[in-house]
Amino acid sequence: MISFQNIVKAFGPHKVLDDVSLTVPKGQILFIIGTSGAGKSVLVKHLVGLIRPDAGRIYLDDVEVTSLSEMALYPVRKRCAMVFQHSTLFDSMTLLENVALPLRKHKGLSTKQAGVDAMRRLEQVGMAEESGQFPADIGDGLRKRVAIARALTLDPEYVIFDEPTTGLDPMAAESVDSLIRELSDRFQVTSIVVSHDLRSIFKVADRIAMLYQGKVLLDGSPADFRATTDPVVRQFIEGRPEGPMVFPRKS
Amino acid sequence: MAALRLFRDTWRWTFRGSLRRQSGPFARQLYEVGNRSVVFITVTLGVLGMISVFQVLIQVERILPEFSVVGPAFIQTMVREFAPTIAGLMIATRVGSGIAAEIGSMVVTEQVDALRLCNADPIDYLVVPRFWACVIQTVLLSVYGGLVGVCAGAVVAHYAWEIPWGTFFSLNLVGYSDVTSGLWKAAAYGMAIPIAASQAGLETSGGSEGVGTATTRAVVNASFCVVVLDFIISGLSFMLLLGK
Repeated sequence: MISFQNIVKAFGPHKVLDDVSLTVPKGQILFIIGTSGAGKSVLVKHLVGLIRPDAGRIYLDDVEVTSLSEMALYPVRKRCAMVFQHSTLFDSMTLLENVALPLRKHKGLSTKQAGVDAMRRLEQVGMAEESGQFPADIGDGLRKRVAIARALTLDPEYVIFDEPTTGLDPMAAESVDSLIRELSDRFQVTSIVVSHDLRSIFKVADRIAMLYQGKVLLDGSPADFRATTDPVVRQFIEGRPEGPMVFPRKS
Repeated sequence: MAALRLFRDTWRWTFRGSLRRQSGPFARQLYEVGNRSVVFITVTLGVLGMISVFQVLIQVERILPEFSVVGPAFIQTMVREFAPTIAGLMIATRVGSGIAAEIGSMVVTEQVDALRLCNADPIDYLVVPRFWACVIQTVLLSVYGGLVGVCAGAVVAHYAWEIPWGTFFSLNLVGYSDVTSGLWKAAAYGMAIPIAASQAGLETSGGSEGVGTATTRAVVNASFCVVVLDFIISGLSFMLLLGK
C-alpha cells in the first residue's frame, strides 16, 4: 500500500502541493490527473525520494520513505520503479546496457548475466533486434518501450508511470494501456499513472484523483468522475478551454 | 560547501573502486579531455611562447643587449607558471563547459534521476571518471604545453635574434622546486576544474536556458579556481623556498 499523508511542497514562493493526502491499496491502478503544472509529477517523485517534501509523510507499506537517506532508499527503489515522461534512457549506453543497468546495480548481476536477462525483457517489448542501438538512433515510441522494459526488469511491486502514452501513436498507446492493466490483474502490481490521456484514464483506471491548485479536488472511481457536477472537473474531462478553471503559472 | 562535499564524495567513490567499475567511461573521458585538447593547447601555448619571447627580447635589447639569460629565465617561468596555468585555463574553458553541459542536460532530461533509481550514484557514474581523467590529462597537457611553448619561443629567439639553440635551451635556472611547483599546480587545477564544472552541472534547473547558465557558471568558477590556486600554490612554494 502507498500512502501520501499531508504532503506540502513549495518551490520558492510557489506552493505546488498543499496538504495532499492519498492512499493506494495493493494492486490498484490510480490515475493522477490535472492541468500542466498542477504538481502531479512532483507528487509521484516524492515516493521514490527524488524530491523531499517540506511537510508530510509517505509510506510504502510500513516503510516511511520521507526520512530515508539516499542509501536507505535503494531497497525502496528496487520495489518501486518509475517510467519517466521523456523515457530518460542513458544516451551513452546501448538499449541493452540501459535495461541491464538496474540488474547490475540492484541485483549485483555480472554484465553477462544482466545482458541475458535484459535481452529477455527487450524481447517482451519487441525491441530485441534493436538492442545494440543507442537511444538517439530510435524514435520516441520505441524509446518509451525500452524505458518500460527497464522499469519492469526488477519485477517491481509498484510502478509509477509519468505520462506513459504521451507522444505515442494510438497502437503503441493501446499496448501501454494493456500492459498497465495486465500488471495489475496478473501480478498485483500497484500502479500510479500520471496522465492527460482521457481515453486511457477511463479505460484503465481503477481510481482517479484530480489535483487542482495544490489540493486533491476529487478522488473517486471513473464512474464518480463521469457523474460529478463539479464545474472544474467537468471542464477538465470535457477538455473545454472556457470555464472556471484557473491555470497555474509554471514554477 | 557543496563543491567541497562533491570533492569529498568523489574521493570516497574512488576508494570504493569506482574507476575499476567505470573503466570504459574513464577511458572515453581520457580521450575527451586529453586527445581532443591537444590542438587547442598546442596553438595557445605555442603562440603565447612566441609572443612572450618576442616581447621580452625587445625589452632586453633596449636595456642590456645580452640575451644569454632570456632562454633559461623563460623556461623557468614556463615550467613554474605559464605551462600549468595557461593549460589549466584552457582546459577550464573547453573541458569545464563540456562537463557542465553534459551533466546539466542529463539533469534537465531526468537522466540523473533515472540513474539514482537504478541504484547508480551520479557521482560514481558521472563525476569520478571525469575527475581522474582531468587530473591525469591536465598534468600531461601542462608538460606537453610547456614543451611546445619553450620550443616556439626558441624558434623566435633563434631566427629573429640569432640566439644559439644551446644558449636558449640552458636549464641552469630551472630547479627542483620549479618542477614540483608546476606539477602541483597542474594536479590541483585538474582536480578543481571537474569539481567546479560537475557541481554547476548537477545544480542545473530549468530547460536549455538552465544548461546555458550552468555552462557559463562552470567556466567562470573553474577559471576562478585556477587563478586562486595559482596564487596559493605560488605563495606556498615561495615560502618553502625561503624556509630553505
